[in-house]
Order: sequence, then structure tokens, then C-alpha cells
Amino acid sequence: MKRKMLTILMSMTMLTSVLSGCGTSGKETAEKTETDASAAAEEKSQSDETTQEPSEEVTLTVLAGQSTTDAGIEDMIDEALAEKYPNITLEWECVDWGNDFQPKMQQYMQSGLPDIMIGKAQDVATYAPQGILGEIDSTYLDRVLDAASENVTIDGKTYGLVYNALYQGVYYNKDMFKENGWEIPKTVDELQAIIDDCKKKGITPFASHMVDTWSIGNVTMQFAMNDVFNHNPTWGDDFRAGKTSFADSEEMKTAYRYNELIYQNTFPETFSTEQTDCDAKMVKGEAAMKVSGSWSIQNFLDIDENFNFGIFPFPNQTGDSKLIFEPNITIMTSADSEHQDAINCVLDVLTNDKELAVEIYDYTKTAAMLKDVTPTFANPSQADIDDYAAKGMIVDVTLGNNQLVWGGFQEENAKDIAAWLQGDCTFEDALKASDARVDASSAN
Amino acid sequence: MSKRRRKGDELPGQPYTKQTLFTQIIMTVVALAFIAPIMIILNYSLKTKKELYLTSPLSLPQAFQIDNYRKAFEKLDMVHTFTNTLFYTAVSVVLLVLLCGPTAWAIARCKKRFFKFCYVYFIIGILIPYQALFLPIYMIGYNLKLTNTRFGIIFMYVATGISFGVFLMTSFMSTVPVELEEAARIDGCSVYQTYFKIVMPLLKPAMATLIIMQSFQIWNDYLLASLYVSKKQLKTLTVAIQSLFSAQTSDYTTAMAAIVISVLPIAVLFMSLQKYFIKGMTVGAVKG
Amino acid sequence: MTKKMTRQYLVLVLPGFIIFTIGLILPMLMALRYSFTSWDGMSKVKEYVGFQNYIDLFHDRDFLSAWWFTIRFTIGNTIIQNVFALLFAVALDSGIKAQKLYRTAFFVPCLISSLIVGFIWLKMYSNVLPAVNDLLGTHFDFLLFGNKDTVLTGLLIANNWQWIGYWMLIYLAGLQSIPAELYEAARVDGAGSVSRFFNITIPMLAPAITICVVGITTGSLKVYDLLVSSTKGGPGRASTSIIYQTYTTAINTRQYGYGSAMSVTLVIALLLVALIQVKQLKAREVQA
Repeated sequence: MKRKMLTILMSMTMLTSVLSGCGTSGKETAEKTETDASAAAEEKSQSDETTQEPSEEVTLTVLAGQSTTDAGIEDMIDEALAEKYPNITLEWECVDWGNDFQPKMQQYMQSGLPDIMIGKAQDVATYAPQGILGEIDSTYLDRVLDAASENVTIDGKTYGLVYNALYQGVYYNKDMFKENGWEIPKTVDELQAIIDDCKKKGITPFASHMVDTWSIGNVTMQFAMNDVFNHNPTWGDDFRAGKTSFADSEEMKTAYRYNELIYQNTFPETFSTEQTDCDAKMVKGEAAMKVSGSWSIQNFLDIDENFNFGIFPFPNQTGDSKLIFEPNITIMTSADSEHQDAINCVLDVLTNDKELAVEIYDYTKTAAMLKDVTPTFANPSQADIDDYAAKGMIVDVTLGNNQLVWGGFQEENAKDIAAWLQGDCTFEDALKASDARVDASSAN
Repeated sequence: MSKRRRKGDELPGQPYTKQTLFTQIIMTVVALAFIAPIMIILNYSLKTKKELYLTSPLSLPQAFQIDNYRKAFEKLDMVHTFTNTLFYTAVSVVLLVLLCGPTAWAIARCKKRFFKFCYVYFIIGILIPYQALFLPIYMIGYNLKLTNTRFGIIFMYVATGISFGVFLMTSFMSTVPVELEEAARIDGCSVYQTYFKIVMPLLKPAMATLIIMQSFQIWNDYLLASLYVSKKQLKTLTVAIQSLFSAQTSDYTTAMAAIVISVLPIAVLFMSLQKYFIKGMTVGAVKG
Repeated sequence: MTKKMTRQYLVLVLPGFIIFTIGLILPMLMALRYSFTSWDGMSKVKEYVGFQNYIDLFHDRDFLSAWWFTIRFTIGNTIIQNVFALLFAVALDSGIKAQKLYRTAFFVPCLISSLIVGFIWLKMYSNVLPAVNDLLGTHFDFLLFGNKDTVLTGLLIANNWQWIGYWMLIYLAGLQSIPAELYEAARVDGAGSVSRFFNITIPMLAPAITICVVGITTGSLKVYDLLVSSTKGGPGRASTSIIYQTYTTAINTRQYGYGSAMSVTLVIALLLVALIQVKQLKAREVQA
């Protein structure tokens, strides 16, 4: 009996090591249809020579990491694709970008990646160095704005196709600002004056929803962009090199402290309020400003299509804040997909079908990254954006996000900031905790 | 076995005193409090998006937005996800019952050390936090070609459910009289025959309990289903709901309707089977 | 017992044993292996670091505070859920009318998956209950999830709302199987209702109590889904459970090796708790 048990145990252990030793070997796709590039030939090539529709039916797997505004665009893409390349079907797996994209990617890195992955620009920096992402053909890259490819290019190779962009800053109630004679604040003192006036008049200065820790992380990066990276574009690298730290950098401390400014001037129930409620309060005129991003526009306009709002960058100490720009939906492809042709067809539809693009931009209320495409939705804050763009006062947040990654670093720091605001730990503790996390600050 | 106190719900012999009335009132209040959140969800699910944001949660909808339900039904791909979930649950539970009975019986009857070890070995399973093991679970499933198959997901439900099943069944074995088994053996029955002819019929109540308890687990499982299944045709209801709810979604009205739709069938099922449910619990879990 | 019989018993145990081993024990062993590496969960290299991960665990403040939260949550749940489930069961069993209706009301919440329960209570605390305040002109502080000091209470309420009905049914089934003669005999002896409760009801319910206590404890120690959709471990880290912490460590911070060490520690701890509990409860059953 004993020996038998031993044998079982031994074989179990052996099996374990065999299993865990297996790396990526196979690739699972729903239908193993062999694509014959030469046979696919000319019949449908109205666009260009790199895009050739496979002659047989192909199913591509797509992992889509979505956030607030994106859910729903998959149906639009399906429809446009069916029209142009009826042989290709997409099998979508839509997950929440913040919570589930990273685990899904880890999972598939053990077996085989889906043909197409849709994430955020910062994902390229995480996954491309693992050697699993495919290069995007220049045919398609030429159709997007040059600025879009900058931060998804590593060693001269571009691994992501940036499709749209968000703006981040302080959304403000235009009518309320007019009624009270408030000017757009450029410095923190001017902002403080507005806050004081708000309080005098019984208005809550800021709408916020701190129950969502990600929103704390997000605004902290906004603060850091203008007070830290503005002056030292390599702050994150310096931090890893030991030249600076959260506890030592006055600029970073200032950026962290703005969270307290918001917390003291927002709804008392902010740690119980989630985004939609918060946006509704903003629309109802219960608060004057909200540090946020384009993802709020969809809610604003859903609740009241006539809500009149604008945007300005959160002021910094030096009075030269820039509006924050974030490349959002980014399409990546698998390096070892068997269906490169079909993938290219999808990229073709995405970059060439302007009708589809406008539909998506209008639905998500985001800015276009395709050349010569302009969304048609009424965006009350567009005038402000154009204004800052004309003055060159726009900065790409990917700079900061690539140096201090979101998952595992910014996200975790945000928890400490929340704990500090709640009085659970001191300000110094929160800074030290961020410093201690230095190893997790870069994806690689 | 002792005489049961009563058969139906109400006690014929017990008088309805002032004290009973008092209890009745208190329990009514408590029950209403329990139902309130569900009523709120129902109310939410019938509102428009604007109403949801701008009116009080306690106010009634201006007009019933049945459209929310149509959308939820479509988004959830209800026809597929519901049948899938039902299929996975039913097959897994049947397999569990078939496996756990003999296993537990063997463990209870055979006093050899290996079987004692088995008991502890299976118990470990109740404690393994599989949320934290999702990568290895996926890797094994992938290497055995279990992912994205109906068989694979059922296999995992059986593997994760077996622990509790064995625990429950083993504790029930003390009520199965050994004398009967010995008599059967003297008649020349093999171990297998003894189990299927003598023991299994006696295990029915415990089986009922196991079926009931595991059905809930599997029906509401999110992690394993999301890990093993990415194909649309194979998805389960909870996974579909979760993607409707994914942290930052803004379409709450549809999501609320989706909750109601997903709970309704199983609630109806429970209400109609309540009698058997209680019966199963009585003789199963309690006598264990 | 003959060799042949042992072999036949073995055949009965084997299928379950194999499925269980592949589905759960193998992943656990793989996690054990990873726990000695600094693997990030992505790259092909898994560097061996010996016991370093385990040593680090004891200096990890977040890990320890996650344990502290989980322990408080578990103790709170075990006590509240058992007491109320039993109380409700006794109340329903006291001869009140329309018992079925109450049973359903208490039971329905456990048909909803924990992910959604979390979401429902987020809405309850932030919107619905404050609206009740407005309606009644009262000023209760219902924002339980919004403060580090009340978040535990908030989660306990949500969790108990979901599960009390479930355990109540088990107790109810137990109560209904206690023979009436026992009570009559006690009444003849002049025992009051309180003494009857403690001298008859509780001992007779011992097996049911075992099942409930083990079920609630192991379930609460593994709390995760409930947090994902409600507090996300916050505010700050005030409601981060041990599994939540393990998951974020392994996945979000890309320290799969370290996260694996956390889950191994958890399994060992859970095993100890379960063994102690089962031993004690069994001992009590025997005494009774």
C-alpha cells in the first residue's frame, strides 16, 4: 500500500514538472482554416497590396480590454468588417481593462495569444519587450497621426495602432463659472480663490468619486505630469536610478498633496460615490469642477444633452500647466498568429473606413487619431481643447505612464493615498510606500 | 430513526398565541427588509438612464422601461448562456453525486491508512483558494486540451466540488447501518454490488443535499468559467453578467435588468422545489 | 478485510482521486514550486530564490493587515450568521403563518452571485439608504463603505444579507427533525422554554452546527468576489482580504512567485483551522 502511494505521489510530482516546463507551443483558434495568400488574390483588393482577404473563412480571436466608454464598439466593427471582408469573423472576448486585461494576457501568454488584442498605449511597453507582439505594417500606420505612434514604438518598431485619444484635466460647469464671474485659473492661488468663493456660496468645489481608487491614481498622474514631468521628463528613470524619490522630491510631494486639496473640497460621501453618481451630481450643478477625463463626457451628455462644460488643465505651481492627452484604444497583434492576412484586413477596415471611425468616435465621445477624420458629436469642451492645442499646451501622458506603470505601481500608490486621506496612515508613510515599490514601477 | 414531529409547514397542535403573533410581526419586518434591496433593483431596472441618475432611488419609474429587459436579454445572449449554465450545472452535479458516494463510502468503510489519508487529502480541496491559483489551473487545462470545451469546464467543476461532496457524504455514512452491508456480503455480493444495491439507495437524502448545495456554487461560479471559456457559444450567465457590470460600465439600467433576468429562473426553480429542498436538507445535512 | 475487498474499495476511490489531483492538487503543487521563484507571471525565466518569498511575507505590512481584516471578517461572520440563522429558524418554526413566504424572502439573496451582491450594497449605502434618510428626515450615517472604520460593518451586513437564509434553511431542517416527544418530556419535567432551547434544541442541532460553522468559516476566509464589485479592498486598504491581496500581488504587481507564497501560506493556515474545528465540533457531537 505504502509503495503504491509513493508511486502515485512520485508520478504526480513528475507530471507537475513536465506540465510546468511546457512553454508556449500551440495556438488555439476556433477554426483552423489554412489561408492561402496567393489564392486570396485580387478579387477584393480595392485598398492596397498588403491587405488581401483570405479566400476561406477565418475566425480571429480578439481580446478587448475596455473601459467606460468603449463597450459596444465591437458590434460596430463587426458590422463594418462583414461588409468589406465577409470571410472574416471576429470572436470577441471583452473584459474590463483595469481589472481583467492583465490577468487575461498572463493567461494567454502561457498558451497562445489571441490574434488581436485591444488595450491602451501603455500596454505596448509592457508586452512588446516579451517578444509576443507583432509589428504593425506601415500601410496602416501611415493612416494615423504621426504623434500617435511615438509612444508605441520600441527600437524603431511600432507594435500598436493607436485609434483614439482622451483629454484629461478639470471639467468645469461653464454656466456656473459665468454666473459667478470666475476666470479659468492658471495658478494654484487662483484655483484656491475659486474654491474659497465656492465655499462662501455653498457650492461644492469639486465632484469626485474616490470609491474608485483608479480615479485617485488617475488624477495623481495628472498632477504629476504638470508639476513633476513638466520640469523633469525623466523623473521616473531618475527615481529608479536612485537620484530622486517620492519622499525627497518636493514636486512629487506637491502633486500628492493636491489629493488632499480635492478631498477637503469635495462631497463628504466621495468614498461612497461611484463615477456615474458623481457625474450626475456634476450635471445637476451640485459641484463646480471635476478632475477627470473624456470618459466623463458620455455620462454628462447622457444625463443632460445641454450640459455646458469646458476643460482646463489642473493648475501647477509654475502656472504653465498643459492639458493632458492620452492615446486610448490601441490595437496590438500577436507575433505568431497564423492569420496575418486576416489581421491586416481588420486593420484595414479600422484605418480605412471613415464612416466606422466617425461612428466610434461619436459613440465614445473621444478624439480621432486617424488622419482626416473628425468626430461629429457636439462637445462643449472642444473649443477649449482647440485653444490649448493652438497654443501648444498639450502633453502626452504616456510619457509618465511608461516610466511609472499603472498596474502594480500607480494603482497601488493610489491605495496608499486613499489610506492617507482616510487618516489610516501619515503622508510620509504614503510616500515611503511608493518608494518601497520601486521594483514594480517599471513593467520590465 | 425517530418519529418526525410533523409533515407540513404548520403545526396543527401548536396554538397561535400572543407570542406567536409578536414573532410574526417581527419576522414580517425583517423579511421586508430582506426583500427591499431586491425591490430597489427591480425599480431601477424599469427606469430610463436619466431617471436613474436624476430621481430618487425610491421614486417609481414614470413608465416601465421594458426595453431594458429586451436589451439585457440580447446582451446576455440569454438563450445560449442560460442553456450552457444549466447544462454545466446539471451534468457536473450528477457526476459529483456519482463520484462522491462511492468515494465517501470507501473512505468510511475501509480502515486502511491510505483511505484515512484520502479523507484529509480531499478536505484540503475545500480550503484551496483557487482564485489565487488561476494561472496553474489554466496551464494544466490548456496542456490537457480542456480549455474552451464543455468537457473541460465540467471537469473543473467536478474537481473543485468533490472535496465538499466527500466531506458531506462521509459524515453521512454513520447513519448507514453496517449490518445491512455485512448481510449483503455474506450473500456473496462484491463491494461494488453492495454499494449499488444496498448503500446507494440509502444515500438518497445526502445526495439531495449535495445536489442542492453544489448547484448554487456552480450556477454562480465566475472564476472557473471565465478562465476556461472564451468562446461565445460556451459562455455562462455569470460571465455574461460580469461583462455587463465590468467595473466602469455606464449602462446600469440594462445591467439591473440583467440581474433580475438571471435570478428569476433559479428563484422560480427554488420556490417550486422548496419542499424537496427542505426534505433533502432535513435528512441529509442534519443527520450527518 | 480481504485484499480483494481493499482493491475494490480502491477502485471506488480512484476516479475521484485522479480528477481531484489533476484539477486542484497539481495546480497547488505548481504554486508551491512558483513560491520558491521570483517569476513575474509572464516571462519564460523562473529564477529560484529559495525561501526568500516566505521570509519577505513576515515583513509585509499589507499582507499582515490583509490577514487581520480577513480574521475579523471571518469571526464576525461566523458569529452573526450562525446566531441569526438559528434565530430566524426558531422563529419560523414557532408556528407562525405562511412560513413558506418568509423562507423564500430570506433565501432569495443567496441566489444572486456575490459579485452582484457587492454592487447592490454599494448602491444601497450610497444612494438608497440616504434617500430613505431624506424621506424620513433622519440623519443616520449610511455611508458604511466610505470609511475605514465602518467598511467592515458594511461588508458584514452585505455578506449576512446574502447567506443567512441559506444557513437558516439547514437549521430549519434540523429543527423539524427533532422529535416532539423530547420537548414534551422536558415540559413534563418542568423545564422552561429557555432551558429546553439549550438542553434539547442546541444538542440535537449539533451536526447542523458543524456543517454551518465549517461552511461559514471557510467561506469567509476566502472572501473575494464580494469585494471586487463593492469596495475594491478600500478605502485605502481597509477591506483588503487575504485572497484579494494575493490576487493583486500575483497579477497586478506582476509578482507571481511572491503571490504563490501567499496562497501556500493561506492553504496551510486554513488546513489548521479546519482540522481544529472539525475535531472540536465532532468531540461536542459525541458528548451530546
